Amino acid sequence: MVIDVNGLTYTYPSTTNPALKSITFQVQSGQLVAVIGPNGAGKSTLCLALAGLIPALFHGQMQGTVMVCDMDTQQHAPGQFAGQVGLVLQNPINQFSGMCYTVYEEVAFGLENLGVLRELMPKRIDQALQQVGLAELSGRSPYTLSSGQQQRLALASILSLEPSVLLLDEPTAMLDPQGSQDVFEIIQRLVRAGTTVVIAEHHLEWIAQYADRAIALVDGEMILDGAPRDVLSSPVLLQAGIGWLRYTQAAKRGQAYGLWPTNYPLPVTLEQAVTGFQQAGLISSEPETNDADPS
Amino acid sequence: MYIPHSLYQPGDSWLHHLHPLTKLVFSLAAIVIIFSGLGGWLSAIIVGLLTMLLLWLAGLAGQVVRSIFQLLALLTVVLFLVHGLFNPNNQTILLELGPFAIGKEGLVFASTIVLRLAASLAASLLLVFTTHPAQLVQALTEVGLPHRLAYLLGSPLLLLPQIAGRVQIIQAAQQARGLETQGKLLQRVRALFPLVAPLVFSSLVDVEERSLALEVRGFSAPNPKTSLNELVDTPTQRIARWAMMLLAGLLLAVGIWWRAYSGY
Amino acid sequence: MSLKEQLRKDFSTITLVLMAVAIVLNIVLGQLVSLLKLPIFLDSIGTVLVALLAGPWAGGLTGLLTNLIWGLISDPVAAAFAPVAMVIGIVAGLCAKYGLFKKWWQAIISGVIITLALSIIAIPIRVYMFGGLTGSGADFITAYLLATGKDLFSAVFITVITDNLIDKIVTALLAWAIVKGLPKRFTSRFPRASAVID
Repeated sequence: MVIDVNGLTYTYPSTTNPALKSITFQVQSGQLVAVIGPNGAGKSTLCLALAGLIPALFHGQMQGTVMVCDMDTQQHAPGQFAGQVGLVLQNPINQFSGMCYTVYEEVAFGLENLGVLRELMPKRIDQALQQVGLAELSGRSPYTLSSGQQQRLALASILSLEPSVLLLDEPTAMLDPQGSQDVFEIIQRLVRAGTTVVIAEHHLEWIAQYADRAIALVDGEMILDGAPRDVLSSPVLLQAGIGWLRYTQAAKRGQAYGLWPTNYPLPVTLEQAVTGFQQAGLISSEPETNDADPS
Repeated sequence: MYIPHSLYQPGDSWLHHLHPLTKLVFSLAAIVIIFSGLGGWLSAIIVGLLTMLLLWLAGLAGQVVRSIFQLLALLTVVLFLVHGLFNPNNQTILLELGPFAIGKEGLVFASTIVLRLAASLAASLLLVFTTHPAQLVQALTEVGLPHRLAYLLGSPLLLLPQIAGRVQIIQAAQQARGLETQGKLLQRVRALFPLVAPLVFSSLVDVEERSLALEVRGFSAPNPKTSLNELVDTPTQRIARWAMMLLAGLLLAVGIWWRAYSGY
Repeated sequence: MSLKEQLRKDFSTITLVLMAVAIVLNIVLGQLVSLLKLPIFLDSIGTVLVALLAGPWAGGLTGLLTNLIWGLISDPVAAAFAPVAMVIGIVAGLCAKYGLFKKWWQAIISGVIITLALSIIAIPIRVYMFGGLTGSGADFITAYLLATGKDLFSAVFITVITDNLIDKIVTALLAWAIVKGLPKRFTSRFPRASAVID
């Protein structure tokens, strides 16, 4: 168990309403867990708690325990989590050290802070740059990159620390579709290579396709925790204001007209939708070649 | 890398290749000697000429002289005028212009100040023209500057263009809303808050996210920090630095003793 | 709490980031305001902000480094006045610590105190290094005072006060208003801010 959260309740200082209420879940090594929820639900707070920054930096009141990589976040300083747990935030530019004139130096920043020997740095920097696809831009100034490239740089500067757990708080919120796609592909590769990832996101479509597990937070409470197909097709999401994917909506509507098999789980991806519509006899099992077919 | 408003000129002169600390020690030693008052304005002239020689050998003398002129021209004129006319110690009259009289003591005072300033400025510009600030910070880090202080010296340099860029945007946005920045005093006062407030608030909003990003990159980890880059230094320069520091200290001590005992 | 612990607490990571931003604000606002050609500078608003949020030492260091950095990249003359900028931060922080920044009219009084304190430090620098003059409009005041028979020290003292009084009062008021207007979530990261907000 890489992450073990038990009864986590946290209230920011000078506030009365807890930002997180009695959160309990575990994450196994190598899982990709998505955290969804409306704004203000506590996703960011959860990320900060998992990174060991809450309660150390924010004080406030905390009950329950959070263990990450066998370290209790209430017993260890943030500096001790730095090499094991990575955190990527929304705004790429705010994640730059502000001290580095080139991409290469920026990726080295964390290594310098953790006291890694100079001889060992180039290998780790090159590896991190490879992982995010910025190797050719290593001499550029971080401030001349596109926002997608900048976010990949922020990611690289965390990856050079070789964390076993990677947390991401809406990393694609400020990126265009291509930039988002690039970030998602990097995350997919990292998970395949064994990194444990917890990501707070709104891109339900990607979550449906690639996450091993989805957790829904509303108003600080964990209301759903399970496989993406179950969570993303749960009616609770509609009440909570998170909404459903189009496939799910279409299938639900279709049920009333016999277009979707009854008692058959609602789809959250295109493939699931196609399979379901086939089951209902709506589509023949042999797809016709058709210019208008998007898949 | 280009820094806006910056006096730093990237270049290839021998001064550019000197270790930043050598230049820093030179500038500080020069200023200490100049203001220790030894020999009146003699120390200013000697140090100033020495500095100009070094700059001339590096091909930078012209630029430095131009900068000194730009920075000091107005002040020089004002100094000579005000002290020539109004310095309380004026006793010897050199020239009379109607109700005003120009006194020798005032002129001497003004010229001492100007000489000292010009020489100090030359010594500082020797450092500033030829040293990228980030390299100076790196050099200081290598001799033990705590990484927190290094951050305070280094990051404003990169932050400056970013926040300065926001000023343009905010100014344009407010002007599009009808904000007057020219015109009467009251108008300009009114223009102040809508320009200042968004800038300050937007900059402060970033502070928390930036500090979290530093934390997760191990900024507050207590272990000793290592460094990717290393500056080139030579034993000659190291000896030279110590020699300059000793000389400056010595001359400062002599200068203080001389003043105390000759009632300067 | 030992000195080392207190220092670490006063100079936490978020304080350092605040200081770096404040240094840049000092520089940028100073430039912006000089474009508006008003009788104020606003080049120490960052310093006072830091002093209110993080205490006198952080405030003092912010002022000091602002002038050193500006001196290093653009105007070496500014570096000479680094001690003045430092005093602004220290005095503002002390005023806040002793409860003089809770209400708006107290901020005005603090502005006056800051002006007096900085004038004391500014005089020796101005007189010994710059002959009491600056090459700015304030020199008219100095010249006039000298012409009426004042000695150089007094003339400079009066000039510095008149030159700075409005600016420091405005700066103190603005900084106070800004700190009051900041979200609680932000100010709760700065233990010393309670001297101003509570």
